[in-house]
Amino acid sequence: MGLARYVAARTIWAALVSFIIVTVTFLLLALAPNPSISQAATQAALEGGDPATAVEQQEQLRGLDQPLYVRYMDFVQGVYTLEWGWSQNRAQPVTEALWQGIYYTAQYSIPWTILTLIIGPLVGLYSAANMYSWKDHLATGFAFFGWAIPNFFFGIILLVIFGVWLQWFPIQYDTSVPVFSLANAHQLFLPVFVLVTGSIGAVMRVSRNESAEFQNADFMKTAKAKGVSPTRAYAYHVMRPTMVPLSTTIVSQLLVIFLGSSLLIEIVFGIPGLGRVTFDALINQDTNLVLGATLLFTFIAVIGNLIEDLVFTIMDPRISFDDR
Amino acid sequence: MPRRISSKGNHASGINRREWLGMLGVGSTMALAGCLGGDDDDDDGDGDDDGEDAPEAGADEPDPLDLSQDPPEVSGEYHATQASSFDTINPIYNTEAGAGTAIGYALDQGYTFDFDNEVVPLLFEDIYTEDEGETWVIEFRDNLEFSDPYGQYTAEDYVYYVQEIHQSDTFPSANSPDWAGVEIEQTGELEAVATPPNPNIIWPETFAPLEYPIPKELLEPYVDAEDSEGLQQDEELLDLSFNGNLGPYNLEEWIRDGGTQYSRNDEYYLRDLADEYPMFGEAPYFETAQIEIIEEESSRIAAIETGETDNVPLPPDRGEQFIEDEDTMVVLEPTPFNTILSVNMRDNGWTAGPGNLFRVKEFRQALAAAIDKFEYIEGIANGFADPHYTWQPEFSEWFPGTDDLTLWGNPEEGVYGEEARDLVEEALDQIDEDYSYDGDVLVGPDDNQVELEIYYNAASDTQELAVDFYNNQLEQNIGITLDTNAIDGTTFSENYWSADPEGGTDTIDGEEVEWDAPTPNNPGPRSVTPDEEWDMATIFGLNTYPRNPLTNDVFFEGPNSSYNPVGYYPEFDAEGIIQNMRNAGTRDELRDAAAELFANLNEEQPYIMISFGDDIEAYNPAVRGPVPEFSNGWDFPAWHKDE
Repeated sequence: MGLARYVAARTIWAALVSFIIVTVTFLLLALAPNPSISQAATQAALEGGDPATAVEQQEQLRGLDQPLYVRYMDFVQGVYTLEWGWSQNRAQPVTEALWQGIYYTAQYSIPWTILTLIIGPLVGLYSAANMYSWKDHLATGFAFFGWAIPNFFFGIILLVIFGVWLQWFPIQYDTSVPVFSLANAHQLFLPVFVLVTGSIGAVMRVSRNESAEFQNADFMKTAKAKGVSPTRAYAYHVMRPTMVPLSTTIVSQLLVIFLGSSLLIEIVFGIPGLGRVTFDALINQDTNLVLGATLLFTFIAVIGNLIEDLVFTIMDPRISFDDR
Repeated sequence: MPRRISSKGNHASGINRREWLGMLGVGSTMALAGCLGGDDDDDDGDGDDDGEDAPEAGADEPDPLDLSQDPPEVSGEYHATQASSFDTINPIYNTEAGAGTAIGYALDQGYTFDFDNEVVPLLFEDIYTEDEGETWVIEFRDNLEFSDPYGQYTAEDYVYYVQEIHQSDTFPSANSPDWAGVEIEQTGELEAVATPPNPNIIWPETFAPLEYPIPKELLEPYVDAEDSEGLQQDEELLDLSFNGNLGPYNLEEWIRDGGTQYSRNDEYYLRDLADEYPMFGEAPYFETAQIEIIEEESSRIAAIETGETDNVPLPPDRGEQFIEDEDTMVVLEPTPFNTILSVNMRDNGWTAGPGNLFRVKEFRQALAAAIDKFEYIEGIANGFADPHYTWQPEFSEWFPGTDDLTLWGNPEEGVYGEEARDLVEEALDQIDEDYSYDGDVLVGPDDNQVELEIYYNAASDTQELAVDFYNNQLEQNIGITLDTNAIDGTTFSENYWSADPEGGTDTIDGEEVEWDAPTPNNPGPRSVTPDEEWDMATIFGLNTYPRNPLTNDVFFEGPNSSYNPVGYYPEFDAEGIIQNMRNAGTRDELRDAAAELFANLNEEQPYIMISFGDDIEAYNPAVRGPVPEFSNGWDFPAWHKDE
């Protein structure tokens, strides 16, 4: 199978998987009781109004007065026409809500991802090159610390020390600061630091172990015998094969952390990003936004896996699509 | 006698989030449940002698602004912090207190209430009745302008908004229930007359006439097209760009989950009152304003510690720390929300054995008497609360005074301790089931100690402490124990506190009572029950409506009132008294009827009343304006900083 056919087949499969996932999400949301409806009824009762009318009004406001199959057909049509509807709990179109979330999340997640991709493998390689030395133990200790300490807790601790006591960093995230400015880098330092320390641990450990395997391989001995400098030897002959299995770890781990840790980090540091958009939508049963976010995350996961598979062939030419 | 609330009294502006809270009922109550603070502020403003002192919390008590002073300098930013983001700031559809505050920075309403709970006209020049509340005349100021192209705000805009939106079936709005049955007509360019369905001498206190100004021309296309969805999603309604000179600030941006940012409105209409109140001459006094959303409590608190914000609400357990901090000004604002112990009088209540002692008035009195309110306030509420004896806070104009009340749970001046045991004995005499005391322990027919299930909000540390305290007090004083259960608030609301309305009839004191309009929170007689059984709960506090006591009819106007999840059947003529309140032609008549209602509720303890908490607000000490009053914030446009 050639590259084009492989990508096409994966894309079709991704579309099918996405459809199944959002359909299940739609049904789960439809079956769950909506707290805003019962709250409207209670409020009407407290104000001397008619709770039944209030429920009808609230259902009408939220588009829940239609039969389930009609809502589902509308939803499916919306998915394919990219009209993902209106977010009731943010009073804006779903696409705009997601875009706004991505806008703020990207400001910390891009530097976080880049730093993780650079620092993790490098520290692992360095540890492997200095295995069982104090430098290795220090790097390993650092990696385990970052991995073990919950990001949520670590973020609060750093805020207290560097925000409240030393006042080196601001407590609040200021949305009015330009994206590409020192002020933005300043206010994003702590969240990025917390996320990087949380994510490089696994990358570093996998990288260290894989590197250890390759640094004593025959081709390394040959390279050394030919007088290749250690830097070049590690960069070209150890790092490259190490990155093949490492890419699997990186993609899956970043996806997991993106969905979990970023929410907690956004709550601690007050960043109005994608994690909070999604979490609030779930809590408030904002159906359109939940489904939009589900589609987005499914898309990210599928594309991430696809890129990962494609990268295999670039990093290791022995892998081809013919066998798939 | 003509009743006139004139604009010639005190003037000011500002959104008062209390007004929103007052309107919101359980929406806010749910949010507040379990995190009620308290207040040592005895200045209730009603001239009543409170009769006792609450614990002294020692918070700051800054003086109110003197509006006769010259305008201060305009400078800097006012930066407030809230915990929750807004669903919408579309004024037609908003139902949240926080969003109400955000809208209020950019749009005034008709009037507000000052520290004496007097109406202060804002967009209205005047609102008055001359026929004991049958009709109310609303006069609008003549200097109110929307942004281009909408022109002047007049009675036509107001009446159109009410008739075509709130009173229309097409546009379900938040305020629709307030306008059901109200006739309103425009009688002049700047005058409208409203006729409530029943005469009401305190119609302004119902908040019903309070409407944000919305241009008729903005609404018309949606009304003509019957486009409810379009109205919800209208950009101008969501960015408040039509506000003209109608609010102290202009909304610059609303960042969802991030908050709102404002710039100063140079054309603010209240400046025209400078002759009368010089301090409004250049209002407002901040170049910019901002409401920032920080969900995480420790981050919010850190923001006030480092001076990055000017206002943060504090949890009760952090209040004392900031009171002692000279870099922070702590203001305790009384709230109308109570801390209560709900007892289930329905058929699925009292799971300890046969019968249901909660239905016996003396037993509920015993529960109230067995819990030391002052110990609760000091130990659980960290001193930030006042004792709660009847269904009004003491700062309310309608609070009857403590002389006519039994001070349940007050060891010094009321009924507490051994007297609670006596009340239980009285209750036992009135039931057929075989409950009795074995020493200090109340035992059931099976000879086991009575153990009741109590539910508290799993998210509330305060409630967790409180249920343990109740358990100790009840075991010590009346010999029963509690099995404590943490539960999610929404789950409790859905499965324990509400049920499908069934209706039905019940015979009460020989009279047949019909539930002809059952609601989820009063689904029928006691035989109609929610899915899950429960005995006691601390999950919800309720609004006591201190400005408009008539609203309490939803709780207490007979067993079939619209909100009665606990299945309470009044043993006094509640309907008659509430009817007297409705028929009152003067405030004095209303006060007399209300006093009778609240005295009876004090006796019957339909919910076991514990305390009234306070909002504990931490401010930048340079901010001038915040005061420890229920109406804190009514003069917000005059707030400024002493740098």
